[in-house]
Amino acid sequence: MAVKKDLSINYLGVECENPFFLSSSPVGSNYEMVAKCFETGWGGVFYKTVGIFVADECSPRFDQTNKEGLPWLGFKNMEQISDKPTELNFENMRKLKRAYPEKIMVASIMGSTEQEWKDLAKMAEQAEADLIEGNFSCPQMTSHAMGSDVGTNPELVKSYSKAVTSVTDIPFIAKMTPNITNMEVPAIAAIEGGAASVSAINTVKSITNIDFENMTGMPVVNGKSSISGYSGAAVKPIALRFIAQMLQNEKLKDLEISGIGGIETWRDCAEFLALGCRNLQVTTAIMQYGYRIVEDMANGLMHFMDERGYNKLEDFIGLALGNIIPAEDLNRDFKILPKFDDNKCIGCGRCYISCYDAAHQAIDWNAETRRPELNDNCVGCHLCLNVCPVQECITPGEIKWKDGREQVDIALKHHYD
Amino acid sequence: MSKVVKAKYTAEAVSGFNHRTAMEEAARCLLCHDAPCSQGCPAGTDPAKFIRSIRFRNVKGAAETIRENNVLGGTCARVCPYDRLCEEACSRCGIDRPIEIGKLQRYAIEQEEVFGMQTLKAPADKKAGKAACIGAGPASLACAAELAKAGYDVTVLEREAKAGGVLTYGIVPSRLPQAVVDHDIAQVEALGVKFEFGKDVKEADTEGYDAVFIGTGLWGTKIPDIEGKDLKGVYAAADFLKAARTTGEGFDPGKKVIVVGGGDVTVDCAVTAKLLGAEDVKIVYRRTLEEAPGNMTEFQYALQLGIGITTGMAPAAVKGSGKVEKAVFKGFRDEGASLELSADTIVFATGQGPEDMTKVVPVTVTDKGMIAAGEDGAAGGKFFAAGDIVNGGKTVVEAVAAGKEAAASMIAYLEKKGVN
Ligand SMILES: Cc1cc2nc3c(=O)[nH]c(=O)nc-3n(C[C@H](O)[C@H](O)[C@H](O)COP(=O)(O)OP(=O)(O)OC[C@H]3O[C@@H](n4cnc5c(N)ncnc54)[C@H](O)[C@@H]3O)c2cc1C
Ligand SMILES: Cc1cc2nc3c(=O)[nH]c(=O)nc-3n(C[C@H](O)[C@H](O)[C@H](O)COP(=O)(O)O)c2cc1C
Ligand code: SF4
Ligand code: SF4
Ligand code: SF4
Repeated sequence: MAVKKDLSINYLGVECENPFFLSSSPVGSNYEMVAKCFETGWGGVFYKTVGIFVADECSPRFDQTNKEGLPWLGFKNMEQISDKPTELNFENMRKLKRAYPEKIMVASIMGSTEQEWKDLAKMAEQAEADLIEGNFSCPQMTSHAMGSDVGTNPELVKSYSKAVTSVTDIPFIAKMTPNITNMEVPAIAAIEGGAASVSAINTVKSITNIDFENMTGMPVVNGKSSISGYSGAAVKPIALRFIAQMLQNEKLKDLEISGIGGIETWRDCAEFLALGCRNLQVTTAIMQYGYRIVEDMANGLMHFMDERGYNKLEDFIGLALGNIIPAEDLNRDFKILPKFDDNKCIGCGRCYISCYDAAHQAIDWNAETRRPELNDNCVGCHLCLNVCPVQECITPGEIKWKDGREQVDIALKHHYD
Repeated sequence: MSKVVKAKYTAEAVSGFNHRTAMEEAARCLLCHDAPCSQGCPAGTDPAKFIRSIRFRNVKGAAETIRENNVLGGTCARVCPYDRLCEEACSRCGIDRPIEIGKLQRYAIEQEEVFGMQTLKAPADKKAGKAACIGAGPASLACAAELAKAGYDVTVLEREAKAGGVLTYGIVPSRLPQAVVDHDIAQVEALGVKFEFGKDVKEADTEGYDAVFIGTGLWGTKIPDIEGKDLKGVYAAADFLKAARTTGEGFDPGKKVIVVGGGDVTVDCAVTAKLLGAEDVKIVYRRTLEEAPGNMTEFQYALQLGIGITTGMAPAAVKGSGKVEKAVFKGFRDEGASLELSADTIVFATGQGPEDMTKVVPVTVTDKGMIAAGEDGAAGGKFFAAGDIVNGGKTVVEAVAAGKEAAASMIAYLEKKGVN
């Protein structure tokens, strides 16, 4: 192996060989699966949520969105928590922890009353779990006493967190729902209830597609469908936003957040870490590709660290957070004109169409040469740069300062791929 | 009128991927379980793994996989006959067309160079054993790299001035630019392998080495014994290609060139002549195109360059006073047929054979003159052999695979001998 970097990290007092964990879902729902994921290189698992309630699932239960031939931009599921007996699940966790003592076992639990939360926490402790995650966020539970209906209610989040932390010393992580305006509110409630940290995000409530055969949503269950959770690449931007907002909140800024939502590649991992996460969880990408994706996450992250001279994850965790600032604080004194590389340009005219129909009519189309020509209307929005099909054909060019504004040194992005 | 492609001898004929187009192609890959493409690569380059790395944006990891498995990864990406290896095996053929594996491999290796990656490193722990590899072609280079990775002291002994064998002195640079070959060889050098050039090896030169690999290839030339074969302007393919490769753009192939044969080497000679400025280039083959061993895409490329192909005619005589003026052909099956063509140059690409190996090293040879070595490369005592000189002339990737295989046997031999 050519590149070797230390990916280990201390997360909530637990030494993890790497930050890559399965998130609670079918990808980690029995002994054999979790054993295989450990062998493949995952550092730990948030075992499929266990409740006193045992789920009764519908069929089919999945759908996906795609665009122009690219499948799985987003993924929708109608699953609830584990459909396996409660005792069996905890027994599996205990066996796994004994067979793989260096791997981290997180018990994900969900109760419907304070007592249930306490009982489940005790069972997790007996199963020798390293950490406990409270699922306050499944958006498709068949009972309103559980899931995201709880996660959007700060009082319940606080009292259930308190229930758990009153019976065990194992660090408790509250899993947040994105189906809310301000995630800081339930996150603060969880911390006040004794939670050690939060994880985010669970799935986003959605209707992915309408089926015209049955005039209902997808997936079709006996001619009907339900609103349910959306995950995968499409939700990554939403996850990153909530995480940044929590870590920028005075009361939450020191949390060791576990980031979840659309993680597939080492790059996604690096992004969540750069915003300040100390742990990473994955489901949808595993559902699409299998546990093997962790190989390129680990190797790719090592190359990234090698390239930048980082020796451990801490060297770059949170580096991007401070550069996410309120819109009103951005420097608005300049515009960057797009630069067109006539040699790379293939003459498709897409920049012209988009600029005319959706921006500022700043591109004149030279029908003779089949090349775009920038005119004075350009506002520097870079719609053209985003639409051009040729790599690095349109790039940031000349910086123009607005009249009467102070010219300062500005940081630029140079490479787009 | 047909549209004829104009190209330069040293300019690469096919352009590669950039990041975006590579991602588009990698996105077509089905990321198969038990990937057939990986099983289809003789050298174990593991395309399924490196394509998956590209797909998951780990281009450096992709380059690493290629390099660790196939030290000539850059070269193979250009010259492998994918259509009957990995790409033929690709599951995607069941939907539409295979993944362009060779081109993705090329992209990863190009990025390796851009990033200045140095994947292969010799271990700090050196072993006592000393090994020599005769010849610096693909088989020897692959063998030398494996031995060096295992910590042995390795010297490559080559009679030419540069390493690469056919890669440097044969294949047309428009298919395989010299820079690509040099970049691959640099990886072998980085492993601490020593090279001695201008060394036409004889048995005495192998004294002092605990194990010796023979990867001498096929450099015995064959020109049919016909009238006029010694006239100026008559070449054996290997000599013609070597002269062109060593002279470069300044090489004058003559105005009218005839290449005799029906294999890939034939096409390479014809393309070389055309790209170096010959006005009229013809391939003349004695059997039918269907029977020709050459790759159809290569013949098609020759046609695109405006090279003509005549079949069914076998060479009978070369005429001229002092130098070639005419070539005479007779029907190979059609007995009455005859053909007379004026020419300045005639290249016989009618097969290369082995030199007399028994004069070089104490080995047994087959009736065809190939070294009689086992699957594992063992050729008796401390001698091991692989590549064209054993298999009778196949491909670069098979030479690499066999060189790796032989290295494993040599390591086992050295361990047994106790020189560790
Ligand atoms: C024109 C041409 C085109 C080809 N195109 C392709 C292609 O597109 N794809 C493909 O996969 N394969 C192709 N091949 C086949 C491929 O090149 C060979 O299979 C491969 O190079 C064999 O490698 P090797 O190491 O066995 O021998 P070689 O590449 O022949 O290397 C042998 C080396 O040993 C040296 N040597 C020989 N005797 C001695 C000695 N006594 N002392 C010191 N050095 C010595 C030679 O100088 C040479 O450098 C082509 C071959 C030719 C001739
Ligand atoms: C099929 C499926 C089942 C899930 N089940 C659970 C669950 O039992 N408990 C839980 O906390 N989250 C569950 N989730 C949410 C995931 O753990 C994760 O938070 C979410 O999918 C976002 O991450 P991703 O984009 O990597 O999938 C489930 C997700 C999917 C797709
Ligand atoms: S994925 Fe497996 S369990 Fe699900 S429907 Fe297909 S075969 Fe059945
Ligand atoms: S979108 Fe890009 S390639 Fe197309 S015309 Fe504009 S600059 Fe050229
Ligand atoms: S066989 Fe084809 S589709 Fe399958 S992994 Fe290999 S390249 Fe991809």
